[in-house]
Amino acid sequence: MSLLQELGAQLRATSDELPTGLVTVAMERLRSATDLLNWVRQTSVDPIGVPQLGNAIEHAEHAAAALRLAQDAIAAYLAAVGLSGDPGGGDQDWRQGLKRSEEPAPAPDAAPPPPEKLGSWWRKRVEELTGEAPPAATQSESAPEPGKTDTAELLRKVAGGVRSGDRAKLGRDLHAVSASSGLALSAVTSPVLRRLAGDLLGHEPRADDVGRLRSAAAGRVKSLLPGAPPAVLETLIARVCRAPAPEGAQTHPADSAVTASVLTGVLLARLGRDESSLDPAAPEPLRQPDPQRRPETDG
Amino acid sequence: MASVAEVRAAVDAALQQVTESQAAIQAAREKLGEAQQSLAAALDGSANDAVGAAHASLSQADQQLEECLGATLLAIEQAQTYTATL
Repeated sequence: MSLLQELGAQLRATSDELPTGLVTVAMERLRSATDLLNWVRQTSVDPIGVPQLGNAIEHAEHAAAALRLAQDAIAAYLAAVGLSGDPGGGDQDWRQGLKRSEEPAPAPDAAPPPPEKLGSWWRKRVEELTGEAPPAATQSESAPEPGKTDTAELLRKVAGGVRSGDRAKLGRDLHAVSASSGLALSAVTSPVLRRLAGDLLGHEPRADDVGRLRSAAAGRVKSLLPGAPPAVLETLIARVCRAPAPEGAQTHPADSAVTASVLTGVLLARLGRDESSLDPAAPEPLRQPDPQRRPETDG
Repeated sequence: MASVAEVRAAVDAALQQVTESQAAIQAAREKLGEAQQSLAAALDGSANDAVGAAHASLSQADQQLEECLGATLLAIEQAQTYTATL
């Protein structure tokens, strides 16, 4: 390897390792928190931190844009010195949210975390979205709340249910988790959706791809989530394509998380992949070689 | 019908998301610092405009993340003040 090749490899590695995935995960968690607080404060004049979270999201968006500019600048430098500007490792952001978070083990004498009190709130909305009632065992007020579930594992289960078109399984999988595990789906799915949409379209999703993605996914999402407001899917697709999100009525905080997980399953199914490809340790799936490939229309 | 316990639980769940976002931002800033060092070492002495642009963008990203973190701290403080009044 020549000195120049070595320099190029080092710069590509630096570009690939820029924390765009972490910033995306942070941004989605902030959006999820904002949705929740907005839901709480609908009739209150107290802002409960929502304007500050809006500022935080804006800063995170600017940081993500600055990271992309840095990647472009590195690519421009590589091209200027006669090396390919394409990063070597491909888009790895999608793996970031799927990695199991490494939480410190609780101290042996530590009290167990308090049980979550949002279980019935979560299950009620899941029922409204999917049309599937929660299992009888969870409907009693005294039923124990589910513990924390690995959100990436939940996403794989949801994707499996979507792939088989099994709405009852989808409902069961969503009813079986705590609200915090379910709401965390928003953060996990965001980079995955962008990657899957890119694979389906044959290029990085752009603002003018909104219609194509909508026609590829809307029908199937609607059939699995008959109770989901259409604006939720529109907003998700707009974010994937980095297009302006439609202004609309406020939605339930669970809607975005659930719809995003189902959209992930629909795009996976469109690509002919199964849920195991969402394992962060899975090998890189083959991308479509034909840049002109168009996603088939839903319906 | 919603209870104070449910409102508090919803705010707590939101704050949990904010805390997790803070952890992601901290981790991103660490990786960003490593990238800045790596870039500085590899491109020491370069006068190429793209190199200056890359350095400037990384600095800007770090500054935005720092301000993001500051905003989340204010948000947490305000939400906790609110739940204390419930």
